[in-house]
Amino acid sequence: MPLFKPEHRQLLKMLHPAREEEVSDVLSGLAAFMEEKISPLSPKFDSLAEKITSARKSLLENGICLIPYPSRYGGLELPFSAYTLPGIISGKKLASFSLTEPASGSDAKAVRTKARRVGMEYVLNGTKMFITNAGEADLYFVLGATEKGPSSFIVEKSAPGLEFGEDLPKLGMRGSRTSELRLTDCRISAENLVGREGEGFEQVKTMLNSSRIVMGALCVGVAQVAYEKAVTYSKERRAFGGLISDFQLIREKIADMVTGISAARLLCLYASRLKEMGLEFSSEASQAKVFATETSVRVCDQAIQIFGGLGYTSEDVHRHWRDARLLTIGEGTSEVLRMLIASRELARSL
Amino acid sequence: MELRVNASGTPDLSGAPSKMSTFDKNAVEESIRLKESSGGSVTIITVGRSDAKKTVKEALAMGGDRGYLVVVVAEPDPHDSLTTAYLLARAIERAGPFDLVLCAEGSSDIYAGQVGPMLSEWLALPFLGYVRKVEIKDRVIRCEQTLEESVRVLEAELPALVSVVSEINEPRYPTLLQIMQASKKPIEEVGSELLIDGRAPPRLVTTVGMTAHAMSRKRVIFEGSPEATSRKLVEALRSEGVLKR
Repeated sequence: MPLFKPEHRQLLKMLHPAREEEVSDVLSGLAAFMEEKISPLSPKFDSLAEKITSARKSLLENGICLIPYPSRYGGLELPFSAYTLPGIISGKKLASFSLTEPASGSDAKAVRTKARRVGMEYVLNGTKMFITNAGEADLYFVLGATEKGPSSFIVEKSAPGLEFGEDLPKLGMRGSRTSELRLTDCRISAENLVGREGEGFEQVKTMLNSSRIVMGALCVGVAQVAYEKAVTYSKERRAFGGLISDFQLIREKIADMVTGISAARLLCLYASRLKEMGLEFSSEASQAKVFATETSVRVCDQAIQIFGGLGYTSEDVHRHWRDARLLTIGEGTSEVLRMLIASRELARSL
Repeated sequence: MELRVNASGTPDLSGAPSKMSTFDKNAVEESIRLKESSGGSVTIITVGRSDAKKTVKEALAMGGDRGYLVVVVAEPDPHDSLTTAYLLARAIERAGPFDLVLCAEGSSDIYAGQVGPMLSEWLALPFLGYVRKVEIKDRVIRCEQTLEESVRVLEAELPALVSVVSEINEPRYPTLLQIMQASKKPIEEVGSELLIDGRAPPRLVTTVGMTAHAMSRKRVIFEGSPEATSRKLVEALRSEGVLKR
């Protein structure tokens, strides 16, 4: 199944009329690379038959992370989102975002990891939980509390006192390693403080605001694949003397699935366009994430239903649901995001 | 997207986006490797409708330096290799001096394998076909030619024309940065009428029709005990010539 479709080109025409051809070229090149080199492996990542490391490396080397960044960092300066280090965006270094702790996830202000300044160093102590890429990443963005409040630090993998737990078994998203991260008198240079002490919470909020759009977009992709598989199957599977795609109840599902995907896609694009234009977008980013992630879970669930017994037993159908299921939890649960959306909307003057 | 066959048996290509032939990618890759090892520059030349510009850009992203697109109003008859080779030859002459022309052993769709040899005739160049390895030293090209059961080593002085087989290399994927840079590389478009200039080659081949091979099953069912039916099956396969006696 081609990943870059005529409808994507139409959307680009709408969003970036002046750079449509350039952006289309880059995205269709990326799509060709994904179709050939990555997509065939994804069932193997899910079944743990193949490690994601080399595929991820080739994807990063291809330049996927360069897309939104300014050219002074080696980026492509294409219109999408922004910030980081050249080493990370060029794919030479893998980074990991380490916020969640055993006792605090959504409630980031309750961070218990402590950071103490000692001379030209900081000493970090604490435990982080459910950290994506823990043990594989070269750099860790760690939130820890100083006397001035939550602060962010870059911890290198080689830092003394940094340890990782076992790879946690997961329902989905099995290509990535997820584990605990332990900091025991972990010493890092004072230069690795990001910004100033006490700015950590705001930094994390800024990052999560943008990443929520990415999470939403990710869900649009997951839902789209599950939807296309279900549609293809419905046009092949026969029952009661006809194709199941001719049955009203299947058609209703297909109509609802695609409508949800289209709406989710547009909401993600709307939030990202607001961000690009330098406008306030946090409510829209949260809306995009809540809607796209929940739509994705529903669409993937319906895909299993259309496949019937085959959907429940075939990894290549149910893995999409298992992948999507993380996304109403990670990087802001649906519940917390609804709180954010409501409080922002209630504060707006009508 | 997939290829479908219409009820009349003709292929329906509407759902299949056009793209660079896989063997052509091998030729582009080899030209870029030669440029990387021996210097020089790579000019990408193709014949097609104006949407073939996408293909030229892709080859430029892989590492070509400039592109040259011979725009035809209608696609030449896919089996009329002579016209395609003729247009390419005129375009190559027009593009300026060169040392080596690389092309695919054949296209991925028609796979007639004729454009390379015909092109070498139009350009009066030595033809080294079905090549799996290329080396150039002191203006002499040395190639390994893949034959059915053996490999022949050929040498020629440059300029020459080489057609490559897929085992020669694994084509690279352009990085996103290269894709962006490719849009700044020059692509010259020239109408085929400028190249033909009243000297078009005779049209020797016209495609009358193209239909999918229709496969009909005999649907023979044998009944009886497993022993008896298996004997009947073996007998039937023998009489069909599937099994030898």
